[in-house]
Amino acid sequence: MNPLLQQFIQESRDSLESISAELMALERAPASSERMAGLFRLVHSLKGNSGLFDFPEMTRVLHAGEDLMGAVRDGRVAYSPELADTLLDAMDFVTLQLDEIEGSGAAGAGHAADAAALAARLRALAPAAEAPVGAPAAAVAAGAAQLPLPRFEQLPEAARQAAASALQQGSPLFLLAYRPEPECFFKGEDPFHQARQLPGLLWGGAALHETPPALAEMDCYRSVLTYTMLAAAPRATLDAYFRYTPEQVRIEAVTPGDGLEACRQALLAAQGEILELPDGVAWLRGRLQATAASLRGCLGPEPAGLDAALAAALAEPAAAPLRDWLAGYDARSAAAAAADRRGAAPAQGQGRNGGDDEPAFNRRADDGQLGKVLKVDQGKVDRLMNLIGEMVVAKNGLPYLANRAEQQHGLRDLARDIKANYAVINRIAEEMQDAIMQVRMMPASVVFQRFPRLVRDISRKLGKEVQLVLEGEETEADKNIVEVLADPLIHIVRNSLDHGLEPPEDRAAAGKPRCGRLLIRAGQESDRVVIEIADDGRGIDTAAVKRKALAQGLIDPAAAEAMSEQEATELIFAPGFSTAAAITDLSGRGVGMDVVRTTIAKAGGSVELRSRLGAGTTLRLSLPLSMAVTNVMVVETDGQIFGIPMDAVVETMRLPASAIHHIKSAMTTTLRGRVIPLKPLNELLAIEAEPQANSDGELAVLVLRLHGERIGILVDGFRDVIDVILKPLPGELGRLSTYAGSALLGDGAVLMVLNPKELL
Amino acid sequence: MPTELTDDLARLSGWVSVEEAEGLLAWLQTRPQARLDLALCEHLHAAVLQILLHARPAIVAWPADPALQSWLEPTSHP
Repeated sequence: MNPLLQQFIQESRDSLESISAELMALERAPASSERMAGLFRLVHSLKGNSGLFDFPEMTRVLHAGEDLMGAVRDGRVAYSPELADTLLDAMDFVTLQLDEIEGSGAAGAGHAADAAALAARLRALAPAAEAPVGAPAAAVAAGAAQLPLPRFEQLPEAARQAAASALQQGSPLFLLAYRPEPECFFKGEDPFHQARQLPGLLWGGAALHETPPALAEMDCYRSVLTYTMLAAAPRATLDAYFRYTPEQVRIEAVTPGDGLEACRQALLAAQGEILELPDGVAWLRGRLQATAASLRGCLGPEPAGLDAALAAALAEPAAAPLRDWLAGYDARSAAAAAADRRGAAPAQGQGRNGGDDEPAFNRRADDGQLGKVLKVDQGKVDRLMNLIGEMVVAKNGLPYLANRAEQQHGLRDLARDIKANYAVINRIAEEMQDAIMQVRMMPASVVFQRFPRLVRDISRKLGKEVQLVLEGEETEADKNIVEVLADPLIHIVRNSLDHGLEPPEDRAAAGKPRCGRLLIRAGQESDRVVIEIADDGRGIDTAAVKRKALAQGLIDPAAAEAMSEQEATELIFAPGFSTAAAITDLSGRGVGMDVVRTTIAKAGGSVELRSRLGAGTTLRLSLPLSMAVTNVMVVETDGQIFGIPMDAVVETMRLPASAIHHIKSAMTTTLRGRVIPLKPLNELLAIEAEPQANSDGELAVLVLRLHGERIGILVDGFRDVIDVILKPLPGELGRLSTYAGSALLGDGAVLMVLNPKELL
Repeated sequence: MPTELTDDLARLSGWVSVEEAEGLLAWLQTRPQARLDLALCEHLHAAVLQILLHARPAIVAWPADPALQSWLEPTSHP
């Protein structure tokens, strides 16, 4: 089920509960205007929410309830127990619908009549004169049952034949009268189209239902037509088709008897008249036989006694025996038909309710359905998160304790026990952490679900044809991460639509399908969530990008010359860069890609860009699954320890001094055939000390990847890799971008965690 | 332009929308002898339909779609 719907169901259940509670409270204190206002608000917002979905029955009932509550609030209607009863009935109906929606994901169409009846009851309680919206609707609701229906036998021949064959195939048959409200054109409706599209339509006609003024004074925007239709479709289908306007249609079943009986009576009467004709003609025998054949056709295969009567008539020859038989038959069949009709009457009476089950919303106090989803304030989850963070830190103190027991006090057994205990606590703490993270997890669909609409609107505005493909919407990530993604993704999608994808004509000219393709795919790669936005548009024209960057003074001509294709592509991330010739409301205001990159980087993520001219552009966002715990490597330099986020670390290695090349003041080394620049951490942090080599004369090098490039950092030594809860530095210190934050270690020491991107 | 109005002949074609109701009404109001060509008409908006039902102009060509024609038949001149 779609999460929005799920949320709606949850909230609605809450609201319904509050409404019931308020109504109960009002019973005790009917004069409380505060409670009235509260009740109105509850019903109002419930109605508003239901309007987001396709639940016309629910909205209709709630709308009527809202009007009534509005009247009560304004003092136009006095509160009464009957009013409360009706409102409670209405809320029970809504509860029932919610159950149904939760069970099947959609509202059943079978409740249109119940909804209309309930709405009418609610409206009846509101003062007619002062409820301008309610009154006409109620009047129409009452009027629909009186709409004139044509008699079956008045329908054109073709329609009746179609009806006959539908009946032969066992299809139910209905006559409908549909009178749209006079203002319906202003709501963008086309009742004629609605009528023509009726499921199972066999015949339809339209007629003016009020004598209009002379043509010269006709108001063509006021609907004055009533549509009559004959349809062969199940009642439920027809109800569902008119579920938005049940008060404007009358639907009556056509049973085979209706028209046929009239025809039969007419035929029988005609045969009777023939038999009354004088006998003395030469063709009497032929006439008698023809009459008997007609009677046989009319009355079914072998009407009892007809053959005998015919034989007697032919023997005389005279019409009398046959005439007598027919008179006797008439009397017999009249009695039988009366009995028949009594049997059929209930079936016809079902016309309005369509033979549905009893309206089953007679549940009030007995429904104890409790939601299985718990709505929790985010602050509580955050508190849990902080607590588990502290627990992880506290747990990390145990190995230190074990070491002290062993080394300072010589208690090896105790140290081993502490370590064993630590392993257990560690496992539980990790599971707990995982469980709490799960609570905060949200599917990417939360962000994705707005794209179909966004892409449709923008592409329409730009006159482009775009097919949007969403993949991996179920991929989950921490709430904060998903929220961080929202704005950058919109920027990127807008850019793709505006700059990336070409207009259909250009695409056709370039030999591509007219309709462009925009793929947004989310997926998980180890502990990171990766979002790819790929278009098959024109790609990034690096030459144009360089020209623009030069013109905007972002780079100098020498740098432009020396740039690789990839570097030139990446220029679009430069602050202030814009390729759009004109500023539109979509993109091209010079904020965009650099903001995207910094936003993603702030959340610990990275952006990769690949583009081929003429073939398209792919942006790859990679973010941690969760922001709560950071995996850092602890390194030591000049007697101090620092943390470096593991996602930047490629590898660690030890290099003999001979492997380091000095070029002027810069150092490099060769790693698997690639030259890597080396920087001592001491130098970057302005610590006046040389990197210390270990006893074998080797220097410790931490290889990092930054913006797709590798770089080696010289440190004195490596410690372990730990999970820490990274806390941003407080106050003024927070402006030191060199540090990502600080963390507390198990032994109580503070670890400063570096931000490698700012360090270099 | 789905609706073509000439001196005394209106040719409705395709999907006749509600926007055209007013123009057609004004045109019919001044032409009691108006004739209508619906050969290429696929659908009329209800507002247009009720004008035709009221004005009952002479139909010189029925729509190709027999279903639509059966809806429109009462519009023709008696």
